[in-house]
Amino acid sequence: MSQPSDDTPDGPPDEHVLVRSAPGEPVISAHGIGKSYGHVRALHDVSLELRRGEVVALFGDNGAGKSTLTKCMCGVVTPDEGHLETPAGPIELHSIRDAEALGITTVHQDLALAPDLSVLENMFLGREVLATDWRRLLGVVSRREMADRADAALSELRINLPSVRIPVSDLSGGQKQAVAVARAAMWSNAGILMDEPTAALGTTQSDIVCELIRSTADRGLAVMVISHDIPRILDVADQVVVLRHGTVAMARPSSEISRRDVVDAMVGYHEHVGGHR
Amino acid sequence: MSSADSTTAAEQPTTSSSGSAPPALPARLRALGSTTALWIFVVDILLVLLFGALSENGSFLTASSFRVLGLDAAEALILAVGISLLLGAGEIDLSLGAGLLLSSVFGGKVIIALAGSGTAVAAIIGLFACLGTGAAIGLVNGLVVTKLRVTSLIATLATMGIATGIANIATSGTDLSDIPASLQDDFGIRNLIGIPLPAFIALALWLVTWILFRSTRFGLRLLALGSNRGAAERSGLKVDAHLIAAFMLVGAMAGLAGFIDLTRFATTNLAGHQNDGLAAITAAVIGGTSLYGGRVSLGGVLAGTLLAVILQDGLVVIGLSAFYQLIAVGVVLIAAVNLDQRRTPGGLRLRLRR
Repeated sequence: MSQPSDDTPDGPPDEHVLVRSAPGEPVISAHGIGKSYGHVRALHDVSLELRRGEVVALFGDNGAGKSTLTKCMCGVVTPDEGHLETPAGPIELHSIRDAEALGITTVHQDLALAPDLSVLENMFLGREVLATDWRRLLGVVSRREMADRADAALSELRINLPSVRIPVSDLSGGQKQAVAVARAAMWSNAGILMDEPTAALGTTQSDIVCELIRSTADRGLAVMVISHDIPRILDVADQVVVLRHGTVAMARPSSEISRRDVVDAMVGYHEHVGGHR
Repeated sequence: MSSADSTTAAEQPTTSSSGSAPPALPARLRALGSTTALWIFVVDILLVLLFGALSENGSFLTASSFRVLGLDAAEALILAVGISLLLGAGEIDLSLGAGLLLSSVFGGKVIIALAGSGTAVAAIIGLFACLGTGAAIGLVNGLVVTKLRVTSLIATLATMGIATGIANIATSGTDLSDIPASLQDDFGIRNLIGIPLPAFIALALWLVTWILFRSTRFGLRLLALGSNRGAAERSGLKVDAHLIAAFMLVGAMAGLAGFIDLTRFATTNLAGHQNDGLAAITAAVIGGTSLYGGRVSLGGVLAGTLLAVILQDGLVVIGLSAFYQLIAVGVVLIAAVNLDQRRTPGGLRLRLRR
């Protein structure tokens, strides 16, 4: 797709415009996904759909299969059963690059930022914009151009930083998370998968990141958030999927459920009391 | 640094991130190598004045004394600039001194063999022999590090020994003595507007490397490799290719230093370069370059190199043993790194990150 390759850094797929099409349009869906590691069945018959403008919260206890599902959807792991589908038809992902080619990027829990590089250098790492004149031949980058685009992407998500030219190590935890999300949004034109975006953050910073999650979706991207931070993420989510023992224990709109429902589904409460609450 | 307003992201809808008013001066100072480099420069100047005052008739402050200083600094600066490339990428090269030596041996043999066909031809082909030898050692280093997965500390420790061994075997342990002396006047000790040619070349290389780190994609990617290797990989960078290129570049710089050594003295120096690689690392680290990658100070590389050379020459001029230089440089190294760790909030972080 329009994803720039290593050697031909281009602008974001649609320059400065994160809204790409109507909300509600599916971006990628999983159908009957199964994955086993040796004798351990990590996922079984899991289906879910990510749609533009929607935040899907993926909850589950440790070992419930959240990470494996995410890895299947971003191309790190190939599922044993089932398949992934885009509006264009069934697809197979064999690497992160494959997923990125579909416009689906991942914000890892460790954020994958280089602390000594500036914000803009991080946002363009691997996709640097070169100067347009003869200096291009020497591999000279155009910081101004990159700074402008980074500024645009950040302000579109209402992220406020003192400057895009300061090192990432000078940022707070929430700001680092914001930079990672902005980078993902900048190079994505379909969906973003976020792994534990609030895990390392304090209360205030977590709230800010949740706002950011919401505004990312409102810009027309599909967002899937893995989290243990149930109350906060429930607030910004449209759909909730709870995994338990590798299968979908619950999949419902967030408006119809409470925090308690999520926890019950996570621990299998209704299994013990006969399926009724 | 303006951290006062940097504590939280904003809730206001109309916030752009400052782009219109970049903090020009602080950014430029940071690029110059933060304050460590500036402090070392100050020490450099004070030392020059001190030695000038202590030397007989101020002989340390004469043009000829500065020319010697420039010649001595040229090779050291080239090696220190080279090592900064690798330190920035989070790697190290202990084999630079051995690379310099082996390059000068091979280059010297080529020059001697071609001496009949004119000095200029011999010199140019000799130069390429030096560069090629250095780059070949770098290639071996790069391949061992990336393909055999041996850490660069061990890999280059090994090639340091191997290159030194080959140099001694190739010369049967006797320094080459048939290098045409005209090479010295034409290149090794030639002056341009009163400044030694090798010093010019070293300064040019320093400047190019500064630009490389500051403005080029290759430089940024090297720093990214040193700052967070995993992130660089996930950004799709070709890690192995970048590292091999860096090792080769640094090796070629050692080769260039070998050519300068050869043409300056018209002989090799089998016994003399064991510590050159370590001295280069010392100079870079004194100036604020991180051993842990991601942070390079080219200003500091220059200041740190000058510090070592000024001490070495100055002590001799005032009649003290040059061995005091080793002691002084060691003390400054500890002091500089300690100051650096205290002052930059990143000092500790850089270590904890690994």
